[in-house]
Amino acid sequence: MIEALGRVVATERKPNTPHEFHFWTAISSPVGIGTIVRVDGAQPMDGQIPHIYGIVVEGFSYTDLQSPMHDVLGHDGLPTLAGFASTERAEIRLYTAAVLRQIPEEPLQPVPMGQVFLAEEADVHVALRMDSYLKEGANTGIPVGVYRAGGTDAVIYLDADFLLGPEAAHLNITGVSGLATKTSAVEWLLASLFKHFPEEKGSIAAVCFNVKGPDLCYLDQPGKVEQSDEVLYEKLGVEPRPFQKVEYFAPYTAKGLALNTFRNNEELLDNVTPLTWGLREVLQYAEVLLNKDDIDAKADALIDFITENVVDKEFPPDGILTKNHRVQSFAELDAWFRDILQGLEKKNGESWRTHHVATIRKVRNRLSNISTRCAGLVTDSGAVSDLPFGSFGDKTVYVVDVANLEEDAQDLIFARIVSKLREHLERRDLGVKHLVVFVDELNKYAPGDGPETYVRKMLLDIAERGRYLGLVLFSAQQFRSQVHRRVVGNSGTALFGRMDPDELSTPGYAVLSPATRTKLATLEKGQLMIRHPHFTQPIFVRFPRPAVMQGREGSERYPQSNEISLDAAILRALRPLDPTITLPWVQEITALYTEQEVIRARNATLLARPHDVKAYFSSQFRKIIPAQPAQRPMAGSIRSVPENDPYGF
Amino acid sequence: MLASSSGPDAASRAALRLLMRRLPGVSVMDGAASVEPFAASDPPALRAASVIEGTELRAVRVPDFSPEAKSGFGAFLDGTQKVQIIAHHGGMPIVIGTVSAAVRIRVDRRLTTWAQEPPRVERKIYLPLRYLPALAELGADGIQARWPIVDTSTADKSGEYPSQHPAVLLERATRAVDQEREQLEDWMAEAWCAKGATPIFMDGGISRSASVASSSLAVGVIKSHRTLYVEGDALGIVLGLRKGERSSVFRVSPRSRSSVMSWYLRLRGVAGRDPLWGLVRVEVAERERLSDRANEISRWIMAETTPLSLPDGRWDKLAYGVRDCEEFLRAIS
Repeated sequence: MIEALGRVVATERKPNTPHEFHFWTAISSPVGIGTIVRVDGAQPMDGQIPHIYGIVVEGFSYTDLQSPMHDVLGHDGLPTLAGFASTERAEIRLYTAAVLRQIPEEPLQPVPMGQVFLAEEADVHVALRMDSYLKEGANTGIPVGVYRAGGTDAVIYLDADFLLGPEAAHLNITGVSGLATKTSAVEWLLASLFKHFPEEKGSIAAVCFNVKGPDLCYLDQPGKVEQSDEVLYEKLGVEPRPFQKVEYFAPYTAKGLALNTFRNNEELLDNVTPLTWGLREVLQYAEVLLNKDDIDAKADALIDFITENVVDKEFPPDGILTKNHRVQSFAELDAWFRDILQGLEKKNGESWRTHHVATIRKVRNRLSNISTRCAGLVTDSGAVSDLPFGSFGDKTVYVVDVANLEEDAQDLIFARIVSKLREHLERRDLGVKHLVVFVDELNKYAPGDGPETYVRKMLLDIAERGRYLGLVLFSAQQFRSQVHRRVVGNSGTALFGRMDPDELSTPGYAVLSPATRTKLATLEKGQLMIRHPHFTQPIFVRFPRPAVMQGREGSERYPQSNEISLDAAILRALRPLDPTITLPWVQEITALYTEQEVIRARNATLLARPHDVKAYFSSQFRKIIPAQPAQRPMAGSIRSVPENDPYGF
Repeated sequence: MLASSSGPDAASRAALRLLMRRLPGVSVMDGAASVEPFAASDPPALRAASVIEGTELRAVRVPDFSPEAKSGFGAFLDGTQKVQIIAHHGGMPIVIGTVSAAVRIRVDRRLTTWAQEPPRVERKIYLPLRYLPALAELGADGIQARWPIVDTSTADKSGEYPSQHPAVLLERATRAVDQEREQLEDWMAEAWCAKGATPIFMDGGISRSASVASSSLAVGVIKSHRTLYVEGDALGIVLGLRKGERSSVFRVSPRSRSSVMSWYLRLRGVAGRDPLWGLVRVEVAERERLSDRANEISRWIMAETTPLSLPDGRWDKLAYGVRDCEEFLRAIS
């Protein structure tokens, strides 16, 4: 039998209500903001003693001092004398708690007087209604952290049905930058999700967009796990180890030699795949890169025409075009444009197939510019290296590193990948049934104000309709108040790390008590406040440091490679496929070819991943017959003319 | 001692319901008027006392006192009383008296209730049964079962019954409540002197109980000075005491009470105040080395002057521990 730690009190000026009550405790009581307590009512209702569960949201302390001046007088104005008083003034610890749950739930009445107890683990389960989804045989609980107060350590579970759908879905996390809380929390939660996601609900994978820094670049590398974290891992039923299946994707740098990622150290390249797209892939999302000024109705019509009738199709000569075109790359598209424009110039024409020459010039200019703006991602050659849409693996993390890319390229990657994921999930052929998409910096990608962008529209679409497809958005940002309301509003679960006081002063946080806001502004690393559909009030939890290598440590241990020579880049790209490949071999094979040809051969080889890498790579080059030294023909002897026959008869 | 007044509480309402069933014609008082304690019957007086520290009374500076001085008191005792006129019957006052007493002990500089003898709260109905024949005929048994009754119309030592004048009967009731409170305080004090381990700071004198008056643990601190135990030049010396000064020790031997040793002590600076400001009289059991004892206990009492007992109007003399007792009793009674 645990001892009561407080008593409910109510006065006319501070009455209890069905949603709030007050209680006092001993000075030394282990109660604080966020502590969950249980009230045992004194009078039975319908033969049942009422139990009320609440969470402390405000605390007050005062003495019997009526005026501060009395204390000054009492110590002759000298604070140092105050410590010598034989008696401490009578002091009270008075707390306000928000009701989490009342049992019985009907009739809903003001909280009665009664004794207050510290909630034990079983009480926490009931208080947060976790008992409804932690049933034997129908357990959909996903551990998110440990609630700690007094001597109570209780695992807090999220309901998978409300985290990944179909009931509700999506998760949003807010916190100040620099504490790594947001990234760490998502890494931890993914680990927990992979471990505890119910088998009967199907497979699950995650796509993480690494939009800044190296934090997500070492998910498969072990990190430091302190003893206190090991205890948490054990309590939460998750093994403290890095992710077992991680695949990285990154475009090349503008030069096309090295991968444009923090994870381009040679020791880590075995699971890094280049991300390169050709003309067809890009044209489908031209809208992402071209703003409204670029695309009017006429330009849009021409782009549609190109997409439908030109790309990947034989386009025969007509009155304007002088030769047959088969456009598969930006280079070939540019040749097609050039041919049309030259033809129009020769004939002094103003339009081609109803498209005015000015529109054609404009579209050519904008599209050709894409390959420059997204160099490294978009290939002139048309080679495509992509995420394994259709064969996503269960419990696999796919990290798309766009941290070092220009904004346009980031937008293009995000828009295309999310669209493809959505298409495949609609067709149920992605390879997994549920997919988590993690996007940081929502302040940038889905701001509450500013122009309507393609990326914001996509995020809104996921937030509003994704859960029906199994597409779940885990999003993060520093300032929740500045993110589009429909994105955060559709997030069933919200996590809060340490918050910026300015952010906390915005109206969105007015529902929190001043004490809760103060606690949020001073949260330690590894602590979160959670809102979840089952919880009627936010709950504070601790979560373990992720068992993966942190970004800073990873970038020190595996420094990013600088731009390297062409030969070294080829060697680095091919060696993971065939360890016998050496630099002299690469130099010998590529010596006679241009840089573009070598890169094209590398890309083709990486895409094909052939059994015989050396043979395949070599076969990508055009044959060059070595020049043979010209042999001097044997000169025939000049027949001498007989002296007596000058005409040669 | 705290004499408090307040509106009708649950207890008085219950008592009233009980009486109304037994006593038809009871006229209920609106708001259950509380009665302030009557002024003592004895007029203010000077009374000579024999000085036992030296030959004549003088001012003595309490040695070695500093703000850092520690108090030797481990407990505080006080009692409260409440007198409420809840009804009249034929003009006769019907009174509820509530008395309480508690010892609060000091643990780690915080005050808490003494667990060995929990605080006591007693309530009684004070009735002039002689002038309430209806109730007298009915007998008080039924009421007594739940509410003890005290007859305020009994004959005094000379065999005379009190006048039927309501004010006389009310005064009798009030004095009876006063006595009940004193008895409860004495009972608590005796319990402490028998079981306690540290000196106790008692609000009021210690001479009513022989065992308390002879205990080395009991220290009585009297705040009221209707009787000043000095005469002549000694009066000027006492009224002229400065902060941190005490008088010589003298013996107080009231009639029908135990003899104790006593002295005056000025707790606060008197400048700009009346002569009795911050002046208390201390009572302790007679012991040897009385000067040392008086100095030591004076230091303890002065150490109890912080924290201030404000907003209580008696804060110049009221120790915080005693005020804590009163607040505690106010909360439970």
